[in-house]
Amino acid sequence: MWTFIARRLLQSVIVIFGVTLISFVALQIGGDPTYLFVSERATEEEIAMVREALGFDKPLHIQYLTYLGNVAQGEFGNSLSYRQPAMDIVLGALPATIELTIFALTFAIGLAIPFGVFAALYRGTPVDGGIMTMAMFGQSIPNFWLGIMMILFFGLYLRWFPISGHVPFLMPLLQGEVATAFSNLPKTLYYLIMPGIAVGFYSLSRNARLVRSSMLEVLGQDYVRTARSKGLTERSVVVHHALRNAWLPVVTMVGLEFGFLLGGVVVIETVFSYPGIGRLVFNSINQRDIPVVQAAVIVLSLIFISLNLLVDLVYAKIDPRVKL
Amino acid sequence: MTDVTSDGLTTLAPERGSNFSRELRRAGRSMVAAKWPVLALLILLVVVIVAIFGPMIAPLDPNRQNIMLRLAEPMGEGPRGATFWLGSDALGRDVFSRLLYGARISLLVGVCAIAVGGTIGVVAGLVSGYFGGWVDDVIMRLGDIQLAFPFILLAIMFLVVLGPGVINLILVLGIGQWVTYARIVRGQTLSLREKEFVEAARALGDSTSSIIFRTILPNIVAPLTVIASFNVASVILAEASLSFLGLGVPPSVPTWGSMLAESREQLIANKWWLAIFPGLAIVLTVLSFNIIGDWLRDFLDPRLKERR
Amino acid sequence: MTRLRHLAVAGASGLLLATTAAIAQPADDTIVVGLSADITTFEPANISSRDNANIARHIFGTLYTISGDGEVSPDLAENLEISEDGLNYVYTLREGLTCHDGEALTAEDAAYSFNRAKDPANAFTGNTPGFVFSSIGFQSAEALDDRRVQITLGAKNPIAFGLLAEVYIHCKDSYEAMSLDQAASSPIGSGPYKLASWAKGSEVVLEKVGEPAKMDRIVWRIIPEASTRSAELIAGNVDIITNVAPDQIDAVNASGNAKVQAVQGTRRMYVGFNLSEEFAAMPGGDAIQDPAVRRALQYAVDVPTICKQLLNFECVRATGIVNPQNANQSLTPYPYDPDMAEKLLDEAGWPRAADGTRFSIRFQAGRGRYLNDQNVVLAIAQYLEDVGLKVEVDLMEWASVYVPLIRERNVGPLFFLGSGGALWSPLYDMTDLARVESGTNYTHWNDERWFSRWADIAAATTPEETRKIVDEMLQVFYDDGPWLHLYFQPDFYGVSERVDFVARPDEKVYLFNTGLK
Repeated sequence: MWTFIARRLLQSVIVIFGVTLISFVALQIGGDPTYLFVSERATEEEIAMVREALGFDKPLHIQYLTYLGNVAQGEFGNSLSYRQPAMDIVLGALPATIELTIFALTFAIGLAIPFGVFAALYRGTPVDGGIMTMAMFGQSIPNFWLGIMMILFFGLYLRWFPISGHVPFLMPLLQGEVATAFSNLPKTLYYLIMPGIAVGFYSLSRNARLVRSSMLEVLGQDYVRTARSKGLTERSVVVHHALRNAWLPVVTMVGLEFGFLLGGVVVIETVFSYPGIGRLVFNSINQRDIPVVQAAVIVLSLIFISLNLLVDLVYAKIDPRVKL
Repeated sequence: MTDVTSDGLTTLAPERGSNFSRELRRAGRSMVAAKWPVLALLILLVVVIVAIFGPMIAPLDPNRQNIMLRLAEPMGEGPRGATFWLGSDALGRDVFSRLLYGARISLLVGVCAIAVGGTIGVVAGLVSGYFGGWVDDVIMRLGDIQLAFPFILLAIMFLVVLGPGVINLILVLGIGQWVTYARIVRGQTLSLREKEFVEAARALGDSTSSIIFRTILPNIVAPLTVIASFNVASVILAEASLSFLGLGVPPSVPTWGSMLAESREQLIANKWWLAIFPGLAIVLTVLSFNIIGDWLRDFLDPRLKERR
Repeated sequence: MTRLRHLAVAGASGLLLATTAAIAQPADDTIVVGLSADITTFEPANISSRDNANIARHIFGTLYTISGDGEVSPDLAENLEISEDGLNYVYTLREGLTCHDGEALTAEDAAYSFNRAKDPANAFTGNTPGFVFSSIGFQSAEALDDRRVQITLGAKNPIAFGLLAEVYIHCKDSYEAMSLDQAASSPIGSGPYKLASWAKGSEVVLEKVGEPAKMDRIVWRIIPEASTRSAELIAGNVDIITNVAPDQIDAVNASGNAKVQAVQGTRRMYVGFNLSEEFAAMPGGDAIQDPAVRRALQYAVDVPTICKQLLNFECVRATGIVNPQNANQSLTPYPYDPDMAEKLLDEAGWPRAADGTRFSIRFQAGRGRYLNDQNVVLAIAQYLEDVGLKVEVDLMEWASVYVPLIRERNVGPLFFLGSGGALWSPLYDMTDLARVESGTNYTHWNDERWFSRWADIAAATTPEETRKIVDEMLQVFYDDGPWLHLYFQPDFYGVSERVDFVARPDEKVYLFNTGLK
């Protein structure tokens, strides 16, 4: 197993190298950021000076190699627009997004499992029909549109939930202000409800369907039939046999879904003015704030890679057939 | 699907012809039995017809503005005695006509993106699975690189750089899909390459490309169609999201996604028709693709459990 | 199924609880502002965007301050003497000034604020070094004694006073002790408010530390999505929002909780004709070389209708480069007369071809920078198509694609742009075209009847004489100029019924005197 982990870590270095290279080249050839940092009436010399100060006057490969050298020393450069260490800015935006993603994940998986199980158990009944119809629509509605409708209906018309904003929980927790963090928590959750649902609804729908079909398959297996024929109650059949075997796909699901949701936050963070990493990266790409984009790319790739690794490990642990 | 490969054992290459029409009849029966796929197919048929003939049906030029008649309600009065059946948008363009033209672009983007992604993915997967070794390593690592990063961010990066446009959009969305195909095809190829009918073809001296494309490829088409139909659905949604971020098609090109994205400023002012109609078009189309995908999966192989 | 019912009951009661919980409405001592753009720094010498400057102005004092209607009043300084040659400005600071950390603010600190911004080692690029200093040819600042600071300019400049009033003043010791990183995130200011907290991309909280300040706290929230901003205002969670989308104005006004204040801004919106040789070789670029064609196109666009329909604002079409108060009053805006446009185009030698097209032309624009810009650009393109042009609209990402093109004066042949203006002098607006080579002469216009007159203005001795030359120049600009005149961009502020905020025409949001009604 250790060699497996070692190999994966080695691969991840290559992967990170790849994504930074791609994003670096893409952003560099796609526009000159210098003009974002000079005033409207700046002279040619001033522009040239700023370009030099920002390091954009050097050839591309030199810029990239310099960057790599710095990264190797843990130096990610300064954000061009914030003029502060890029990594600090990225890490500052990360907790909010993690909160949103975990909330959405909990919402999606937490409901997908009971929904899927119920739909499978009551196959062909209105319960099944209702859940599956919702799931089908949930997979067909663009999330930004769902977000705006929720703002208008639950935020503005019914006034049930706050329309936008964010109350930090993880951030104070990480800074050691445990009391603040936990006194914030109810509000954090309250502010997360709408964006969290908007992010997670697609996943909920997809996974409810997945759980249902996986459950149906298990319910059709011989051993479940045997259990039933032995006169066990439906409840115990479901709990002891069907669920136990149906939860394997759920593990994979959680891992993959986390990554998927992380990608979906860009749009929702904009809709709900949520100060997370998705919006940060989008703005930084538009501003050609390359150090921030790079730092974010590295952080996000690391998260993705570790999640995949974790999923594989857990999978191997619970499924004896899988060998690493 | 699995029985096709066992067919292959005796016939070397899977036979088409009468077999095919029998399959088709079986598909028809299964579809009618499941009911919903029939409706989905009908909806898609309508969408395709609209996509082809939309410009002939459209009562007005979809890009003709008329800012004096902007934000007209459905059935509102249009220019020169015409009627805005589904209202007009923020520039006084006819929503109905844009919807009809939009069908073409939206479908085009969806299908072409899948074609691009599918082609790259299938070739990469075949090559990777058949040759193995360092080729396999390189291709799969490339896939890892791409999957190690949220796709939407890569898409944003490239669209910001390339600028908006239908072709760019198709390329970006297509490239975003190739890994899925490549992985599945690779897996299938790996298992098929040792099969006897492939060995036999090799023994008969068939060229490598003939083995890959004539012998192996036909045997892995089925799972691909399932993924493709789910994929068209998610690509249409992705196009809408990118439009929301201002990275979709140029404003003179109507697509359902961009129409929906443009409607967002009008929702608070209760101009519902701007969102409802393109929204409905997207939901129904995506829904249909999903239903068809579901049915195809069950029909082709009840045990095929591919995500997306 | 009983489980399900339990779940449903629990869910419903949760929702009920939620409804009873008060959603964060601002407290009586707090004012909340919703901004559309993110702010990036509190480094005084790096601040350049309008929203960023609006917040910073509450933290940092300036020597003088100019109100919305152009009235000048002292801020940190109480007196100003300008030398005969107009090169030395000597400000006398008020007595007893301090910075937020308690340090006394003296003339030495004021001089340091200027010199630090200029120091090339810091590589600052904000408004102060990038715009103010380069405009006035700033030389140096020095303390004459404890309260008097002297600013030296490179050349006499009639608008230097207003520009110098934009420089943020802070203390020396505190800023010398801080790294640039620290200075960017934890400013130590000299204004009535201090920075209490800053959650990047989310909100900035200011707390009152001095006068003038009516409210104890100001919260600036970043809400980029226009609908979300309006929704927050209508719901009463935010007191003031900037950049209300024109189509949402009625919804805000109808809510009963807030009203939209519309002010005619000073930003001059126009369609530029790029007249450079390079662009003359492009399709349509040759046509617009002819002033008669440019004049014809003026008649083709219905500007008042664009204002009314797309900007939700009644406007008078611009007659030139200068804000209306200072414009040549004998000029009347070009009317919308498509027949006239067609006639003039025929006469200019660009008749409609068999397919109805006179010539094709590319129309470039940035997106998301100006009020409803995308729709305005598309509408203009439609008007031009109506008189027989074939317009290829090229909408680009603003910051990193369009701006570089603009700066390299490489945009066109038609392009859409807004240029910030001012009310205090026609010359301020006209200096965009000070020389043919000026970086802001994006059109490469080179009409001698305009550019040769700057010498006359410099030689003029009386305001009347200057005015006469200005009017003559504006006449040339009106007749044969490089702009298709549009409008002065209106600004829309959504203001809650709770507060007594009054919007100003210069895009500044200063809340020192804003309180509850």
